[in-house]
Amino acid sequence: MQLTIKHAEDGDSASARTAPAQYAIQTRRLNIHYGSFHAVKEIDLSFQKNRITAIIGPSGCGKSTVLRSLNRMNELLPGTATSGEVLYHGRNIYDPKVDPVEVRRRIGMVFQKPNPFPKSIYENIAWGARINGFRGDMDELIEGSLRAAALWDEVRDKLSQNALRLSGGQQQRLCIARSIAIEPDIILMDEPASALDPIATLKIEELMTELARKYTIIIVTHNMQQASRISDFTAFLMVDEGRTGFLVEFAPTEELFVKPRDKRTEDYISGRFG
Amino acid sequence: MNQAAPTAFAPHIERRQKLGALWKLLFLLSTLVGIIALAALLLTVINDSFGLVALQYEVDPASLGRDGRPLERLEPDELREILTARLSSGLIRRLESEKPLAERSREQLYDLAVERVAKLQVIESWSLAQSLLSRGEIRRWLEENHPEALLKFRSWVSWRFLVQPQASLPEKAGVRTALLGSLWMILIVVVVAFPLGVGAAIYLEEYARENVFTRILQVNIYNLAGVPSIIYGILGLAVFVRLLARLTSGALFGGGDPATANGRTILSAGLTLAALVLPLIIINSQEAIRAVPQSLRYSSYALGGTKWQTIWHHVLPGSFDRILTGTILAVSRAIGETAPLVVVGASTFVTLNPTSIFSKFTTLPIQIYQWTARPQAEFRNVAAAAIIVLLVLLLAMNTAAILLRDRIGRRRREG
Amino acid sequence: MGTRQVFEEEMAAVNQEILRMGVMVEEALHQAVKSLVNKDGELARAVVAGDAAINQVEQEIEDRCIVLIAREQPVATDLRRLVTSLKIVTQLERMGDHALHVARGTLRLLPEAYMKPLIDIPRMAEVGINMIRDVLTAFLDNDAERAREVASRDRLVDELHNQVMREVFTYMMENSKFISQSISLLFISRFLERVGDHVTNICEWVVYSATGERVELNQ
Repeated sequence: MQLTIKHAEDGDSASARTAPAQYAIQTRRLNIHYGSFHAVKEIDLSFQKNRITAIIGPSGCGKSTVLRSLNRMNELLPGTATSGEVLYHGRNIYDPKVDPVEVRRRIGMVFQKPNPFPKSIYENIAWGARINGFRGDMDELIEGSLRAAALWDEVRDKLSQNALRLSGGQQQRLCIARSIAIEPDIILMDEPASALDPIATLKIEELMTELARKYTIIIVTHNMQQASRISDFTAFLMVDEGRTGFLVEFAPTEELFVKPRDKRTEDYISGRFG
Repeated sequence: MNQAAPTAFAPHIERRQKLGALWKLLFLLSTLVGIIALAALLLTVINDSFGLVALQYEVDPASLGRDGRPLERLEPDELREILTARLSSGLIRRLESEKPLAERSREQLYDLAVERVAKLQVIESWSLAQSLLSRGEIRRWLEENHPEALLKFRSWVSWRFLVQPQASLPEKAGVRTALLGSLWMILIVVVVAFPLGVGAAIYLEEYARENVFTRILQVNIYNLAGVPSIIYGILGLAVFVRLLARLTSGALFGGGDPATANGRTILSAGLTLAALVLPLIIINSQEAIRAVPQSLRYSSYALGGTKWQTIWHHVLPGSFDRILTGTILAVSRAIGETAPLVVVGASTFVTLNPTSIFSKFTTLPIQIYQWTARPQAEFRNVAAAAIIVLLVLLLAMNTAAILLRDRIGRRRREG
Repeated sequence: MGTRQVFEEEMAAVNQEILRMGVMVEEALHQAVKSLVNKDGELARAVVAGDAAINQVEQEIEDRCIVLIAREQPVATDLRRLVTSLKIVTQLERMGDHALHVARGTLRLLPEAYMKPLIDIPRMAEVGINMIRDVLTAFLDNDAERAREVASRDRLVDELHNQVMREVFTYMMENSKFISQSISLLFISRFLERVGDHVTNICEWVVYSATGERVELNQ
């Protein structure tokens, strides 16, 4: 069966599938504990560059935990212990010599509930740029980021307005613009549209597809239709009897949703278990 | 409502509504009790702050005039002459030690003359209610008993009241020194307790790890907030006044008032109150910091912010309005503290303004306390006037707290 | 209550409808050929009239499937099943058309006597009807092996058709007055051979529904 490829610039689809994959970030034998609770075990995932990878699974299976471990945000919860490796540009980001602050600049994150700073739209973006030592033309950076986040036209004449007065969907796009401004490689998104209405959701999804040209997108979602609509690859996680999350199947989205290899995946995506 | 078949429910709607109305009434009554108490306080104070007074000179100032010029037109030298002639040598010595007569201005000498020589005294004062309701009776009583006396309506709270220092005569007494003392106190408390308190709160909320030690620390802070203020007074006496006498008296810095080469200074009082107020500020600031939503911190970290950048740029601005409000409220509590300051050694009779933090001091509540203990009936009026001043100060601070919180808070949340 | 109970029930209903349509087509073929053998004009006309009902059922099943896809967003096995269902009913409808053509052929041949007894043609119909029944069972059971087995029987149908062709050619060459009849019989045989091909197509889709693999089962 000939599968469609979303990214025309790859050229011939057959060669795109047989060429050695370019991985933006990989996990190897990733285990995460919260105190004595074993949250996820032995996660081996490789995320391809400039693709959208979705992580799906029932509640409590550790999807957000895995996502947060990709930019060391899980360390912010006290008592978290991470073992295994997360390789980014060949280096393990959990190496003691690596500064998590630097990691988080390169691997940005957008959260479920839009959380812009209670400052002006301009300041929201400028702050991140400033603390990361941006020395160029700030106005240009702001405009560029807002354009890339498909928000420029809507806010160009009210940049000094408080960001909290924007609608939910606009706020979320602002959060995306804020992340883009500091030039990351990878953008992690934790259920970015679950707090938004359907129209805003669609806009975010369109934006994600557009952003994937330049960045690698990894998204956690509980909305299966969303995952099947926009992602190139899908990872399915589940919990075992001890409530520890593990990876069941990882495949190109077209395969996983038409011809999943594991019965558990089949049951989950067909809605036959919760 | 249709007549349904009997079910398992017996809603008793009317009874429940009546019960609800009863509770509402009880709550209203409690509120009314509070309002009545407050009204009673205010009325009492206002009643005593305004009223008719009967004034009389012991020595007619007209008799002190020279060459046809009345007392108020005399030259400073002439006034000095009168004073030295008429006052006791002991009194002259004391006045000289406070401030030499030669250095006093003409107004000051005139006031001294009126106060000490002519001795315009209030021989009788009446409350506002009496003044308004039984004016005729009072006038008659006065004609019978003190025909030369003047009857004037007097507001005990006046500008003069604010700028005059303490005096032994009620009509001359003013709150200037006490007011200044209180203001100095506020300054020291804020300068010391605010940074310490907010800093401790930041540490406890953002940096400290959850372990036995920090939990004990937290419990102790809560306990300290409930410790009676007199204990702080004893602490202040032992540590600031006695142990650190060299520091608090200013001797360490070479400064200080030679008249009071001990630790009973504004600095000691301020430090004592700062210690009292510190747990309150810490607790309040902790809660303000805790109220900042975690999502704000996460978005800062996700952009590559360090912990300190997150705190400085997001957590503190986000909690600042509440911290400020809490601090102002804590400080307004400190203004009213009397017992600990008595222990630490507030002077009860200070007529000269405090010149530095190493001076003797008195504060408004102490002054009020002292005046109510005086025998002369008129000091009641003076005390009432001082209470009004204190209340106005408290009201101003609380209003400022609310306004600031609303303004800063609203600007942040809505832009 | 199991998850997606309504969906399961709907899918079961669709399966039942497909079976019903299969039975209708089997009946149509059976009766068409019976009318041919017995020269039963009335039966043949009944078959012709019955085709409308088959078309109607096809549409109903298609509509149900389309609605299910729109409302339930099926994925994986469910999706493959629904797509297969759509493909099956298309093939069944064509087979129904072939029954119709056979019946029409019967009516055309009514006035003439047969040049030889009809043996192979009814035989082809019988094999074909069994193939339909068995492949639909395989569809219900999601049995790819069974489907492959059914597909292999098409060879028999093709052989029978070749035999019919050879015999008919012989008769045609011997006596030119049999030409018209021969041509009609050839067409009828062709229609029944096509039935076998259609069933094979169904077998391919059943294999896809069960395994997700696309296979080529027509020789």
